[in-house]
Amino acid sequence: MNRILALSWLTFKEGIRDRALMGICIIGLVMLFATIIFTGVFGYDLGKVLVDLNLSTIAFAGLLLTFFVNINLMAKDIDKRTIYCVLSKPLSRTEYIIGKYLGLILLVFIALFILLMVSSGIIWFVKSFYAQIYFKNFSWACFLQACFYEILMFFVLNAVVIFFSSISTSSFLVLLFTIATYITGQTIEEVMQFFKKEAMAEQLPQINQWIIDIAQYIFPNFSAFDIKTLASHGKFLPMEHTMALIGYSAIYTILLLFFASLIFNKREIT
Amino acid sequence: MVRALKVYTLLFVCIFCYGIFHFQLKQERQIFLEHNFMDYTLPSQFTGPVSLEFKGLVSDFLLFKFMAFMGGRIEDISKNDPRYQDYTYQSLNAITDLDPYYWDAYLFSEMFLAWSGRAQDANKILEKARKYRENDYYPPYYIGFNYYYFLKDNKKASKYLMEASKLPGCPYYIASLAARLSLYSFQHRNGIVFLKEMLKNTKDKKAKKEFELRIATLEILEYLENKVTLYHSVYKKYPESLKKLVTSGLIDKIPDDPYKGKFMIMQNGRVYTTSKMLPY
Repeated sequence: MNRILALSWLTFKEGIRDRALMGICIIGLVMLFATIIFTGVFGYDLGKVLVDLNLSTIAFAGLLLTFFVNINLMAKDIDKRTIYCVLSKPLSRTEYIIGKYLGLILLVFIALFILLMVSSGIIWFVKSFYAQIYFKNFSWACFLQACFYEILMFFVLNAVVIFFSSISTSSFLVLLFTIATYITGQTIEEVMQFFKKEAMAEQLPQINQWIIDIAQYIFPNFSAFDIKTLASHGKFLPMEHTMALIGYSAIYTILLLFFASLIFNKREIT
Repeated sequence: MVRALKVYTLLFVCIFCYGIFHFQLKQERQIFLEHNFMDYTLPSQFTGPVSLEFKGLVSDFLLFKFMAFMGGRIEDISKNDPRYQDYTYQSLNAITDLDPYYWDAYLFSEMFLAWSGRAQDANKILEKARKYRENDYYPPYYIGFNYYYFLKDNKKASKYLMEASKLPGCPYYIASLAARLSLYSFQHRNGIVFLKEMLKNTKDKKAKKEFELRIATLEILEYLENKVTLYHSVYKKYPESLKKLVTSGLIDKIPDDPYKGKFMIMQNGRVYTTSKMLPY
């Protein structure tokens, strides 16, 4: 356990040294401060627009971090051959996978937490600036719930990064696969709904329906983590929904890490 | 020294030329934008999946684009150009598909569509608001208003206004208006049941008094219509006036209208009041 924690701490430290992280944080902060100006442009639902902009900025920064920092952190070990040093220590490949994953999610968590703090400050400032009638649907609980869901999504997305990194040596391919999985995960529920409509279902051959059914089990349902629209209108999701999502994301992450370590154990690192 | 002078001169010339070209491009773009009517919004079937997890943000952006587009053409909009109305409908429909709780977009549909002769389209969009903003009295109120004012359908207007008046925060006079519209559409029983329900739930003395007055009037109207039906079943024709009900012994006298109007009978046997239940 200590070895895993040491590796995750090392991964985290390596991550914060990355200059891209600074760039992403600066973009995130600038976008957050820009919400102060943009919110005033709208007419009535200022609270909705403010929450939309803030949550979207946090999500966008998290995506940039995952796609451009975390994928490189995984690929760098193999590219720069530092993986030999790590694996020559008394550390199994499974422990390496878990340690790396914990390091990546710690990095994402800390970065998003900082953005969340700044974002909360901005919301508090803007709220005090305008009349309360414009924020009658605003709720801190809903805002924090949406942030929590977003962070959960990044835990799963980073497991996807680890999974594809265990298959491919090229960081570009990992990036492509991860983006493809993210887009599929975000749209699969909508596509399912579309195909389930009666008119469509009759036209579709049986095989296509099977493919769609199987696909929704294979790809993570990322749209379930997106409650930004509901949060912006002060709609709190019940705890049952949150518990179901936590269970789903935990199991999906464990399965991905399991397969990743299985593949990584059999892989020849040259 | 000479070399440095050359470099700075070149830099100055470049900045000067940039200023000229920037100014020219700005003017050209202005002409281009004025002549190119960008009246399209991609449908939500496309923008929905493409927005990924940023549907709220995209709905904000589309509304901002809509406001900027319409704001610059406010004079043309008043000319009732159907292109603007189509663009308004498509945009607001897409925005409310992406975020079905977004009140600003619904408000614009009432402002821009209903008031430019597209009340049916405004109602289509507002029906979404009615579905998703279930505790907000504004959507059924606006739909009811559109039916009453633009579409001249008192029966439907009354139905929606009754629905609005049962929702939290709705002013009592909406209930009163709904009951009056039920009179216009000869839905007396609906009006009585609705007002009695409202009477039970209201604590406002002024509202109570008004509701009681309306219930009394609607009950008289219902009573008189029942007697007219009875007269019709006996004499196989409608009475020419309400006095016939008195002379035939069906009623003792014509009741007084609490609103100081006069009850009168229509050709189709329906009873109406000249006061229209308006305060005297």
